[in-house]
Amino acid sequence: MHSTRRLNHIALILLSLVALLSIACDGSKPEADRPVQLALNWFPEAEHGGYYAAQVHGDYSRSGVEIEILGGGPDAPVVKRVASGEVEFGLTNADGVITARAAGAPVVAVFAPYQINPRCIVVHEHSGIQQISDIENLTLALSQRPAFSHYLRHRYSFPGVTIVPYHGSVAPFVDDPAYAVQGYVFSEPVLARRLGATPRALLVAETGFNPYASVLITSEARLASEPQIVAAVVTAAQRGWIRYLEDSHRTNQHIHSLNPEMDVEILEIGAEMSRELVLVGEGMPITQIGDMSLDRWQLLIEQMEQAQIVKPGQVSAPTCFTTTYLPISGASGGGS
Amino acid sequence: MNQKNHGRGAEDLRHWCGLTLPPLLTLGIVVAGWQMLVDLLGLQPYILPGPVHVSEAIATNLDSLIRAVSLTAQAAIAGFLLSFVAGFFIAVLFSQSAWVERSLYPYAIFLQTVPIVAVAPLIVMWIGHGLGGIIAVSFIISLFPIIANTTAGLTSISPPLDDLFALHDASRWQRLWKLQVPHAVPDMLTGARISCGLSVIGAIVGEFFTGYGTTDFGLGYLIIQTNAMTKTPYLFACVLFSTGLGLLFFGVVSTLNRLILRRWAAAR
Repeated sequence: MHSTRRLNHIALILLSLVALLSIACDGSKPEADRPVQLALNWFPEAEHGGYYAAQVHGDYSRSGVEIEILGGGPDAPVVKRVASGEVEFGLTNADGVITARAAGAPVVAVFAPYQINPRCIVVHEHSGIQQISDIENLTLALSQRPAFSHYLRHRYSFPGVTIVPYHGSVAPFVDDPAYAVQGYVFSEPVLARRLGATPRALLVAETGFNPYASVLITSEARLASEPQIVAAVVTAAQRGWIRYLEDSHRTNQHIHSLNPEMDVEILEIGAEMSRELVLVGEGMPITQIGDMSLDRWQLLIEQMEQAQIVKPGQVSAPTCFTTTYLPISGASGGGS
Repeated sequence: MNQKNHGRGAEDLRHWCGLTLPPLLTLGIVVAGWQMLVDLLGLQPYILPGPVHVSEAIATNLDSLIRAVSLTAQAAIAGFLLSFVAGFFIAVLFSQSAWVERSLYPYAIFLQTVPIVAVAPLIVMWIGHGLGGIIAVSFIISLFPIIANTTAGLTSISPPLDDLFALHDASRWQRLWKLQVPHAVPDMLTGARISCGLSVIGAIVGEFFTGYGTTDFGLGYLIIQTNAMTKTPYLFACVLFSTGLGLLFFGVVSTLNRLILRRWAAAR
């Protein structure tokens, strides 16, 4: 009786040790993926395609992070959430980085897929208007939120134009022949065409105002404390954009499930048109997706100062961005 | 004679001190507390600016703020006056026929609860963008309290008074203008005090949806723009100006309230 009890004790201890060891050595991964959040600046759409593609195809996991992409919408407070550290990453356009830094919010751009900004003004084909500088004598739906609208209003006189708020619908444009509306080149014109209009999209970038779009931002604090996480996300994001521009089907189905307003067909069009805007007519090697230049940031700051969106001297170009985390620069570590 | 005047003067002074000092003292405490909170929590100006940053923003953008608040005020005053007049006549209609009241009251409630984002496209279609559309939104938002309070005042006549008029063979018209309307005045003024604040909100919200033309902008426009561009101290300045406008309206209506009811109480 006595010896059996002793054997029972030993067995119990051994079993406990085995249990503890198996908990400590948890399967294949020695440590869990770092969870991070990415706050979008709008509802999930084609302009976020590469970031979703990386998630759908497991690129973030391969880089060692577990990402949660948070949908946005109008007035989504991306900059505030990233600057305060509430979320690790966010998306905005380059002008958003500049207004943020002017307000003292320490955000930095680390990856910029869109070399050509998708912003456009949509006019009717029959209006005969060929460029934005020629817009006159109509109603123009323009939001006062983004910098480009203030730049255009500062730069062009727009004689006879009544500016009204833009609420995301192309219906007023379709109904009124003397109407123009802001948009993204792969969204509003496509929607208008579906409703029976014959729109022409005039790219804002052609006026010379061309901020990088769908820019990935993080906080200065994050860059200092967790550069490896930034490198991991940027590496995964670039892979995601390469995938999205090659074959967007699976990703688009995922985006559609998150945002039923955008059907797969319009997302496919978005992915197709994004090729030109990201790769600039195949002129850029895919390994350079996300790259940024000091000259372009400098020019953008000057343009925004001229348009009185920020005061001169408030923001300096080198502090707005860093390309250190792009895979081509070699600063980030290796990885599959 | 002299003694009486001195006493009057001192009494007036005390009255004014009693009116203005408590809110001013509270304001001072609130501002000091606000600054302390910001300092203690180390809040950045782009998240929650302290009174110093907001004052700077007011000073820097004073011209724009004054222009914006005057445009918003115009729309709010027009919307409020329209809602007062229309609300009065609708309430009179309701008071004259229980059948009409029962049929149409739900639509009055609808006006109160409908989200402006849903009616804005309709307003733009009928009235267009600009001041007209904004006044329309302010009108819609201000209307219901006038209708509700005035109707209550017109229909809550005590039976003895009703009987008195019936005894003297008063016509419907006489009953309306000599009994019901005078009886409803305090309730109408209560409705006005509620609606004047709402009319400011209505003018701001109206601007979100119907907007102004190319060069004019009110507080609603500025609020959206400053929020989008992380100009948080400026945003707070806009909010303060809109609050100030609401308080000013309320002060004016309350003063009118007191003046009218003072004569009223005296007559009774």
